[in-house]
Amino acid sequence: MRMCCRLATFFFDDFRATQEVAAGRMRSASAVVRTVSTAGLEDFGLLGFLPALLGFLPALLALALLAGARSQTPQTLLLPAAAFRRGETPRVKMSLFGTTSGFGTSGTSMFGSTTTDNHNPMKDIEVTSSPDDSIGCLSFSPPTLPGNFLIAGSWANDVRCWEVQDSGQTIPKAQQMHTGPVLDVCWSDDGSKVFTASCDKTAKMWDLSSNQAIQIAQHDAPVKTIHWIKAPNYSCVMTGSWDKTLKFWDTRSSNPMMVLQLPERCYCADVIYPMAVVATAERGLIVYQLENQPSEFRRIESPLKHQHRCVAIFKDKQNKPTGFALGSIEGRVAIHYINPPNPAKDNFTFKCHRSNGTNTSAPQDIYAVNGIAFHPVHGTLATVGSDGRFSFWDKDARTKLKTSEQLDQPISACCFNHNGNIFAYASSYDWSKGHEFYNPQKKNYIFLRNAAEELKPRNKK
Amino acid sequence: MAICQFFLQGRCRFGDRCWNEHPGARGAGGGRQQPQQQLSGASTNRNEGFGLPENPFASQPEEQKDEKKLLEGIVKDMEVWESSGQWIFSVYSPVKKKPNISGFTDISPEELRLEYQNFLTSNNLQSYVNSVQRLINQWRNRVNELKSLNISTKVALLSDVKDGVNQAAPAFGFGSSQAATFVSPGFPVNNSSNDNAQNFSFKTNSGFATASSGSPAVLGSSPAFGAAASVSSAISTSAPAFGFGKPEITSAASFSFKSPADSSFGSPGFSGLTTSLATGPISAPVAPAFGGGSSVVGSGSPGSHSHTAFSKPSNDTFGNSSISTSFSAPSSIIATDNVLFTPRDKLTVQELEQFQSKKFTLGKIPLKPPPLELLNI
Repeated sequence: MRMCCRLATFFFDDFRATQEVAAGRMRSASAVVRTVSTAGLEDFGLLGFLPALLGFLPALLALALLAGARSQTPQTLLLPAAAFRRGETPRVKMSLFGTTSGFGTSGTSMFGSTTTDNHNPMKDIEVTSSPDDSIGCLSFSPPTLPGNFLIAGSWANDVRCWEVQDSGQTIPKAQQMHTGPVLDVCWSDDGSKVFTASCDKTAKMWDLSSNQAIQIAQHDAPVKTIHWIKAPNYSCVMTGSWDKTLKFWDTRSSNPMMVLQLPERCYCADVIYPMAVVATAERGLIVYQLENQPSEFRRIESPLKHQHRCVAIFKDKQNKPTGFALGSIEGRVAIHYINPPNPAKDNFTFKCHRSNGTNTSAPQDIYAVNGIAFHPVHGTLATVGSDGRFSFWDKDARTKLKTSEQLDQPISACCFNHNGNIFAYASSYDWSKGHEFYNPQKKNYIFLRNAAEELKPRNKK
Repeated sequence: MAICQFFLQGRCRFGDRCWNEHPGARGAGGGRQQPQQQLSGASTNRNEGFGLPENPFASQPEEQKDEKKLLEGIVKDMEVWESSGQWIFSVYSPVKKKPNISGFTDISPEELRLEYQNFLTSNNLQSYVNSVQRLINQWRNRVNELKSLNISTKVALLSDVKDGVNQAAPAFGFGSSQAATFVSPGFPVNNSSNDNAQNFSFKTNSGFATASSGSPAVLGSSPAFGAAASVSSAISTSAPAFGFGKPEITSAASFSFKSPADSSFGSPGFSGLTTSLATGPISAPVAPAFGGGSSVVGSGSPGSHSHTAFSKPSNDTFGNSSISTSFSAPSSIIATDNVLFTPRDKLTVQELEQFQSKKFTLGKIPLKPPPLELLNI
């Protein structure tokens, strides 16, 4: 098993065939890997050998069904050990085709509906009373708060809060409104306040205990990003807006502590003290250092050729922020280290969220990467895209860990909880195909998935 | 060694491998690059349909090859962009670290959606749909331009990539690097008429532009009209997306100033223009639609500054041909296409070739104006 995985790690491939396969299927899996290896492709980004892989899928499919019939209990979020006591390898549950009940054997809506309902092909836990319009942002509570609370901002101008229990049950707790769609949310470090940024050009601070929200920031254009900065000598809220400014707010004052000019509209940002990254329109990319006071550290030439869409900072083994992952509308993510020993080798980009077609030379559909999130413990990352899939990646081994089934709507946001056990992703329309494909009647979902096992990094032996 | 005649014409098939001497182009590319060169030359030929295996006037063979690769990369990227269903409203750069190529604007899906919502509340969805359609058309035009890679597009692209285009507004400009090429081989005679040129507002030029869809060939002719380019110095503003048009316009305009005997280009095609020019300066409102990118050429005024003044809407103004409404005389020019351009079939093979090449070769400059089909805006 490990051998095969090792072989497989050299290839930027879909590992469904190789991982989580019970002993009986080993041979076919190894055969697949061997075929793949004979194709002789080492490049991280090549998918040319997929045809060979795909050829084996029908066989594996039949086998998966057999194995899958065994386990059909709904996933429990936080008790991975218990769930796998049956002696199967952990990943059989999350088998080739999503969960084991991927073929309708669980008796859920698959058979009940007349049309194939693909809104939850991964059979993940659905959050109750999800927002009525597209979900723009998700955020889990910090570790200082006992339990898990999820905040989601939507285009219905509301921000909703759920408590997520260990059993997987979600309880809607509270809701606040803005006068415009909510584009970003974040928690304060002590978990008592939630900050929300909206198209109504303001940002609000929501005190959860009193359920009151007050405005703390003002811009000249919609506020696209909001982050809480906790430094040893100061704390503030950082808001990035389409008015090309980055403002830092002390929540008690109506004037910003600091205003930094951006070269263009702010599209996405991330903060892990003492580093902040802002990606703007026109492929702008700026890194800030936040010690003492926020100041521009470096402007970076974009490693991507198209519009920036999302950014997430990752940390090194010593838990210090060391680089970031940048996603674009062109189905590509760039991993960029701030001070790498060997920039040409250490920084790289990889393609994702593309329909494979027959091979890379045939026209493929390219989808935008809507969100990137790093697992707080493992350091592996998840990307969600307009194609309605999410993928898990190991950036150090430069491999893909998993790709989900395709949902019927784009996945617009994603988030890990503080200990990395829960992966939340939102299925709602992200406007990637314009207004023609907007269906206000379509239900928007937030799904929760057990992320403890699937995001374990590949061991680079 | 014998000097390669084909190389002089700009169409030597052997490139570095050629046994004859290529004056000005060194064999410094090395053997390694040669096969690439030929291959890339061949493929660009296929892509473009123009006979341009090599640019004899490039300063370095390596630079040539890099440029070729760059341009090919751009073509491929454009094809992928079109076929893949990617988000359209995004900037683009051919190589990771390079600056953006002009002509594309960045609009995030959220911004677009917000626009939709705003229009929805004001019950004005139709105008939203229209503006989106307009943006899409602009994008499509630009992509097609980049795919077809005419000479002027290439020149503009290369200057973009080198100098960088940093504004939100799509702004095609001819950087100063082009200016040099235009002025240098010039005919000294023309320089004297610089001052005369200044008096003419670029209304007339813009009228010219509406008639012509851009004229790479005319642009190419500007070496002969060092002063021609300087006419554009009268133009103070830049034209996003229509930067191509201007220098040619101005050079065309200058045709009429000079006595026909002077210019290598015959005047008949521009007599109509002369009259319009004679009507004097025309008021400026539409002027913003056309930039003085080429103004860099003669006067050395920084064309790139003027680019910043323009945002997308200027494209629209151009498209709406508001220009043509602002003056009557040029509109007459517009109507009479055959006065300004020769139909392709009326050109001799040699003339056609000249128009298609990047620069005119001395002694072979056509006397007739270029055909409409070769012009490119």
